Amino acid sequence: MRTPTIQSAILLATLMLGSAQAQGTIKIGAITSVTGRFAEFGKMQLAGFKVGVEEVNRKGGVLGKKLELVVEDNASDVNKGLAAAERLVNAGVPIVINEYSSSLVKAQAQYLARQKVPNLVITSSGDDITKPGSDYIFRLNQPATEYARVILNIFRDNKFKSMAVIAGTGAFEKSVADAAQLIAKEYGITIMEDQRYDKGLTDFRPVLNRIKAKNPDGILMVSYAEDSVALMRQAREVGVKPRLFAGGAAGFALPEFVKDAGSAAESVVTATAWIPQLRYAGTQKLNVDLKKALGGADPSYHAAQAYAGVLVAAEAVRKAGNTDREAVKAALNGLTMNTSFGPIQFKDFDGFRNQNPLAMVAQQVQGGAFVPVYPKAVIPKPIKFER
Amino acid sequence: MDSAQTTALIQTVAQGLLTGGLYALIGTGLSLIFGVMRVINFAHGDFLAIGMFITLALFRAFDLDPYFSLLVAAPVGFALGFLIQRVVLARLGDRLSEASMLATLGLGLIISNTLLLTFGAQPQNINVAYATQTVQLGGVQLSIPLIVAGLGTLVSIAALNFVLYRTELGRAIRATAQNPLGAELQGVKTAHIQAIVFGMGVAFAAIAGVLLMPLLYAFPTVGENYTTKAFIVTVLGGLGNLPGAVVGGLVLGVIESLGAFYVSNNYRDAYGLVAFLLVLLLRPEGLFGKTVKRV
Repeated sequence: MRTPTIQSAILLATLMLGSAQAQGTIKIGAITSVTGRFAEFGKMQLAGFKVGVEEVNRKGGVLGKKLELVVEDNASDVNKGLAAAERLVNAGVPIVINEYSSSLVKAQAQYLARQKVPNLVITSSGDDITKPGSDYIFRLNQPATEYARVILNIFRDNKFKSMAVIAGTGAFEKSVADAAQLIAKEYGITIMEDQRYDKGLTDFRPVLNRIKAKNPDGILMVSYAEDSVALMRQAREVGVKPRLFAGGAAGFALPEFVKDAGSAAESVVTATAWIPQLRYAGTQKLNVDLKKALGGADPSYHAAQAYAGVLVAAEAVRKAGNTDREAVKAALNGLTMNTSFGPIQFKDFDGFRNQNPLAMVAQQVQGGAFVPVYPKAVIPKPIKFER
Repeated sequence: MDSAQTTALIQTVAQGLLTGGLYALIGTGLSLIFGVMRVINFAHGDFLAIGMFITLALFRAFDLDPYFSLLVAAPVGFALGFLIQRVVLARLGDRLSEASMLATLGLGLIISNTLLLTFGAQPQNINVAYATQTVQLGGVQLSIPLIVAGLGTLVSIAALNFVLYRTELGRAIRATAQNPLGAELQGVKTAHIQAIVFGMGVAFAAIAGVLLMPLLYAFPTVGENYTTKAFIVTVLGGLGNLPGAVVGGLVLGVIESLGAFYVSNNYRDAYGLVAFLLVLLLRPEGLFGKTVKRV
């Protein structure tokens, strides 16, 4: 039960230890949730950081020096995350990589932009982080709209007429659910119910009963880890039966979801940012490395994003030729990379600024394991429907 | 209303009643403690969390079926309550109301933080085969763990009634509740009785925790919410009134479910609080309470 915390502590210690030994390193900052309710994601990111730093250093480091990651814990809390960002700014790092929760990142990004410190967002996907964004905020992962779009694409391709939405009220869930509203309208899919809930709600039965009575073709759920399990268990219990249950990543894309929800997870489709079956160069190897860093556990996409984040930050410093913040910012602007997470290039489009345009993947739980089902770029398996 | 909607409504009410049963179980423990010793146990929900984590730990360590954990959680809860009454609450003397309020609040903090240090903040589930199994009753679908929880509540409350009204111990408890001084004069060891009652109240919370575990994830501060619920239940039914706590629990469960079904899920906790305020305004003694002057 305590293993996750201990593992993260060991990982963190390893990262720190690297710092004690190396002399004259290039330091870059990173913030994640070592403790608190997002610690599960923090564990993934720490593993990704570790693999990324090792790879950069194995290939000769940056500007002739070893790369060192200064990791700060946000304790899954907005204020502690801000304090972590402040510590990194004061430590003089040229760039700050962060992190999982949109609610936390939004506050940090605004602060970092004010301090004129380049901010590389790797996981949090609230649209409003890069829309309208700032000169100093760069995001390598997909924005929330894409999470909704990949699911709605499946709904549209399978001629769904109606759907229901259940989403939390956090920044990320809201972004995905709001995007789903717009895309549904565009695709001509009727949204019969749009239920938002505050964190801490544990009984979804009344809402599910309501949705059951309306019998939509698809249900899109956007929830964090524990809620995703509760939602699917209760959906089975209540007997609501859409043609497809779909999750907007977050909790639904975690290996724990399949484990904890058991048979209730079967046939649930979820958007996800990265899977080992993607056909980018080095994806398989990255999966093996991440798995090793996680002590044998399967990595989630958060780990791959953290890995790519380290590579991008290192490349930006290398291109800048020094650790000057303005130079690093300029380097990020012109950067083009192919990583095993996906291609990375920061562009301005559709109101987004410094946003990496990257497609999402959809996967489905089949026989107790995730299999890719969308898009064609992953060699998809056929989707199984509930009815 | 078409038939799909009628079924959904019946299902909502049935699930509300079963959830309400759990509230009743928690409320009964709180009400029992209040009825006998005029202590409002603000750590009540945290004792429920202990029940949940005992279940979780036994499941992780020995793969023990959650319901067998009752055999551990109930006695542990009782022993813990007994000890706490003896070691902490009994020493507070006559300044019971404020001192015991602060003491139980403090206990709650100690418990939730101990759980946090031991198990971590991450919400944790256990996955048993029957967690998502259901029973069909004419289109209405009910979860087996929820039904077991309802039955568990019935059995526990029946057992409590048996103890209170059919045994010597029960007589002593009722005597202590009615008039501690008089009971003491008649040879009832009221200090001992109070410790037993506190133990029973805590055991009830722990049992509720075990019954909740297959339905809900456990996390260290899960108790907070249930302390509030227990308090609402107890006030709805009348403080210290046991049948009142049962009805209060069922009422709260159904109000919450119907509110979430008809209005919005988001104000779920508000429905109970509104009912709570209305009862306080219109019948301050609770739905079933009597104003009793203490001697």
